[in-house]
Amino acid sequence: MSLQAQAPRRSSEDRLDAILHALSDRTRRAMLKRLASGPASVGELARPIAMTRVAVSKHLRVLENARLVSRTIDGRVHRCALRSEPLQEVERWLAGYRAFWTEKLEALARFAEEVDREDG
Amino acid sequence: MNQLPTDPEKKLAATLVVRRRINATQEKLFAAWTQPQLLVRWWGPQGVACPAAEIDLRVGGTYRIANRFPDGTLVWIAGVFEVIEPPHRLIYTWKLESQNAALERVTVCFEAHGAATEIIVTHERIADDAARTSHERGWNGCLDSLLEYAQQPGS
Repeated sequence: MSLQAQAPRRSSEDRLDAILHALSDRTRRAMLKRLASGPASVGELARPIAMTRVAVSKHLRVLENARLVSRTIDGRVHRCALRSEPLQEVERWLAGYRAFWTEKLEALARFAEEVDREDG
Repeated sequence: MNQLPTDPEKKLAATLVVRRRINATQEKLFAAWTQPQLLVRWWGPQGVACPAAEIDLRVGGTYRIANRFPDGTLVWIAGVFEVIEPPHRLIYTWKLESQNAALERVTVCFEAHGAATEIIVTHERIADDAARTSHERGWNGCLDSLLEYAQQPGS
């Protein structure tokens, strides 16, 4: 359960900062959602969110910095694809909270149901 | 990271929801959650003892819960009550007392289902430095257990 077995703390912290920052914007989440159904060009990403390509490029850079999106350039077409590894990192991080509260509620259930039996 | 927004509202409001149905009344569970002498009897399972709890149960009142880890480290979780609606709902802020960081927020709902009660814990604003540091202290269970990304808002 310790983080010591994982990557050095600093870089793991920096990665989480970048990932959580990237996920903190609904436009970028919408872009990720679109990419979850398959790779897309920058133009295709821009269309449903009514944004200029410049604005989309800005968001893309944030997503790339977090390594949530990879970009390949084919002639003049930039194709973007979702990378799932950073999401797994967030999942692992949030899993700590889930484990904490799941454990607490289990303990409360044991306590309360035992008290019930004692009362009855 | 210097590109992180400084406005806390702009940070990711990562939210975790955990539910558990328990065969006990809302009143009993609300009391177990809010009376220190009851709370210490269940709060510290799995090797983490809860030697003390202080609860000033009123809006604006504070609480502190001690968590003693197997290595002897004592960590206090503390916060302020924002909403108190016995026996239905509690909302309070949440932070590790030793840290000078943004507040997280916990909402606990007690929903009656016949003789049983469903408890729904919603832990919000956990995407900040305080959260990550607490994570590193290793007070959570297993890091490898899975969490659905669907718990994230907006996903």
